[in-house]
Amino acid sequence: MGCCYSSETEATEQERDERKPLIPHPNPDSKPTNGTERNSGNLPSTRTDEQALLTSILTKTALNIIDVSAADSQGMEQHEYMDKARQYSTKLAVLSNTLSQKKPTPLPSLTSQPHQVLASDLVPYSDMQQVSKIAAYAYSAISQIKVDAKEDLVVQFAIP
Amino acid sequence: MTTALTQGLERIPDQIGYLVISEDGVLASAGELENDERTAGVIMQMVQTACKFRLHGTAEPPFKRLSVMFEDHAYLVTVSGQKVFVVKRQNNQREPINV
Repeated sequence: MGCCYSSETEATEQERDERKPLIPHPNPDSKPTNGTERNSGNLPSTRTDEQALLTSILTKTALNIIDVSAADSQGMEQHEYMDKARQYSTKLAVLSNTLSQKKPTPLPSLTSQPHQVLASDLVPYSDMQQVSKIAAYAYSAISQIKVDAKEDLVVQFAIP
Repeated sequence: MTTALTQGLERIPDQIGYLVISEDGVLASAGELENDERTAGVIMQMVQTACKFRLHGTAEPPFKRLSVMFEDHAYLVTVSGQKVFVVKRQNNQREPINV
């Protein structure tokens, strides 16, 4: 009997060792079937570290995501819209009052001899050609700027 | 006074019309620009925009004359004593500009 019992105990011990995870389980809610008490003693620090890591990953991910599906439900209430509209129109009214008081800046005098300036030679053809060329280059450069979309803007998370 | 202002403009070579504009409106006009309020308005806006342009460290606009060039004619604009002077001149330069 005694032998049997002791061997049984040994088997259980062996089983415990076998079942003891090499890496502690990250989820504290799902406890291992046995060896709970033994594990709980030396694990808290490792667990909190992992929890912190997981939380930081979650936070980082959340920061990079705009939840499009929730955008509608986060809309403002009707009265909030009205309040904002009133607030903005009040501010605009104040601003437009100060703007209308400002006179257009007086024109600076470019020359004291306008007739002479207007009678002098026209812009040389070569200058015109150069300016046209530069403008054409600039136009072509600007028209080649484009957005290179590398991945979808909206992705579905496989959350049940 | 208007005569004194316009006399010099009449003598500009290849001149085919001119305008003298103040902030209140057209003071004098002649030739192809006679009573051309629309051109006066457009040029006034161009001058006001151009006068806002400043190079580093300068208080005054860095130009004396604004040239609006077309293939066969040009509008030349300057400001003196709160008046905008516009002259339309023929452009006799040879080749057309190809862009």
